[in-house]
Amino acid sequence: MAPRGSAAAAAGMRRRRIVGGSSSATASGSVGSGSGGNMLRFYTDDAPGLKISPTVVLVMSLCFIGFVTALHVFGKLYRAKAGAGP
Amino acid sequence: MGGGFRVLHLVRPFLSFLPEVQSADKKVPFREKVIYTVISLFIFLVCSQLPLYGIHSTTGADPFYWMRVILASNRGTVMELGITPIVTSGLVIQLLAGSKIIEVDNNVREDRALLGASFGVHCSCMLTPVFMLYLFEFLLNGAQKLLGILIAIGEAVAYVLSGMYGSVGQLGVGNAILIILQLCFAGIIVICLDELLQKGYGLGSGISLFIATNICENIIWKAFSPTTINSGRGAEFEGAVISFVHNLLTRENKIRALREAFYRQNLPNVTNLLATVLIFLIVIYFQGFRVVLPVRSKNARGQQGSYPIKLFYTSNMPIILHSALVSNLYFISQLLYRRYSGNFFVNLLGKWKESEYSNGQSIPVGGLAYYITAPSSLAEMAANPFHALFYLVFMLSACALFSKTWIEVSGSSARDVAKQLREQQMVMPGHREGSLQKELNRYIPTAAAFGGMCIGALTVLADLMGAIGSGTGILLAVTIIYQYFETFEKEKASELGFFGL
Repeated sequence: MAPRGSAAAAAGMRRRRIVGGSSSATASGSVGSGSGGNMLRFYTDDAPGLKISPTVVLVMSLCFIGFVTALHVFGKLYRAKAGAGP
Repeated sequence: MGGGFRVLHLVRPFLSFLPEVQSADKKVPFREKVIYTVISLFIFLVCSQLPLYGIHSTTGADPFYWMRVILASNRGTVMELGITPIVTSGLVIQLLAGSKIIEVDNNVREDRALLGASFGVHCSCMLTPVFMLYLFEFLLNGAQKLLGILIAIGEAVAYVLSGMYGSVGQLGVGNAILIILQLCFAGIIVICLDELLQKGYGLGSGISLFIATNICENIIWKAFSPTTINSGRGAEFEGAVISFVHNLLTRENKIRALREAFYRQNLPNVTNLLATVLIFLIVIYFQGFRVVLPVRSKNARGQQGSYPIKLFYTSNMPIILHSALVSNLYFISQLLYRRYSGNFFVNLLGKWKESEYSNGQSIPVGGLAYYITAPSSLAEMAANPFHALFYLVFMLSACALFSKTWIEVSGSSARDVAKQLREQQMVMPGHREGSLQKELNRYIPTAAAFGGMCIGALTVLADLMGAIGSGTGILLAVTIIYQYFETFEKEKASELGFFGL
């Protein structure tokens, strides 16, 4: 079991380097284009931190959007009430 | 070296609180990647339309107007900061690192196995190079993110305190804090989305995706916007196409209607739209220009490959750097001019005037800022040929220069490419191993300089033809979209290859 696991990990490493790094040789032998394709990439590798899954990121963003929308709605309601009340 | 290291050491305790997207532990299928990309894009689009809660007004001059194109930001919305935090922190860290440590960084990206040896050569003062380097790299990336978040907080506070949304007294303290919170959280979300896309869940990089989307959205809006604007000739539609159809249907004099649709000055017209399309096609056509160098693997017999060197070797980087430089200059010059408009040197840097068309937008009318701005029309070009000439020379030389600098900074110069190929055991048939770099050197610097110049020339052309957005904007959008097409094709090919086996 162990060797297979390590092979998978190695494959993962290799793939990640292809994704992130500038050297991208694919199996067919064509070498990476060497152009500005990935020049705007700043975070290439893992950093220590609070690990979150991609789904969490998306849900978090949607929650944020919902929160701001709710703020707008409550703001409107509150202002209407304050205007009508006194 | 020691000082830099200690500073980075200080941030270590904070790093464990930073959000961090897990790396994909298995290959994410193409379909899933598309889905992740689309959802991220959707979130970005919603955020760039959603107004901030609690702001009082967004009228008045917008000093960041010139930066908004490259920073994918929208005024008065949650995406006010756009990708500013990421880009700024990235550039700052690269600048800090660039003087001494960039060599290290490149080595990390290229090959971990070679770390010890090469690092030992570069910095023999280090005791345990490999270990330190790992630590350093983690810290560097973490530090970058931390800096990004700090910049987001700092900018949010600065925006609110400077009274961009109305003074703090008007807003109330509660609202001011809410605005800061919204801006900060939006910054963190952009950082996370970008990380998500880059860690192999999505296609391409978040930054370029967001820039391109912002520009394309702008173009589509200018073409099809249904808003009506009253500018003295009765209500007119803002969108070029809509207004064209509307004019043609309602006006009695069809020739005049056509002329108006094509040549109206203050709003986007059909000529602008056609110019945009034309520039788009020209750039796509030029993207195909390349020199293909044949390479061959040393150990796997018969494994042939090719190393293409494109005309646009540095892609859109020259114009990104150029517009970053120009917009910073505008920003400083505008600030100075507002304070000390009488000063000789300030006037030399730039004189500003409120534009009559766009609301509250200042345009440069004198000084250096004026000469590096595109002439607004051919008529103005004829009236002031020196301005046009200066602009052209500045644009072309700046782009060529930035392009040449960028290949050195980003590690895509002939030396780096030669090293890369050597590590992959690739040789050029008919050339000795030593002459690989010389051979590459024949093409790469020329491609970089000439490509940069071409990009600059195309930007000028787009500006002169009045393409929607600005020349810079449309060039950025096209090059990014083209890169996306390439990624798409590559992903598809690799997927097919996977199943084909």
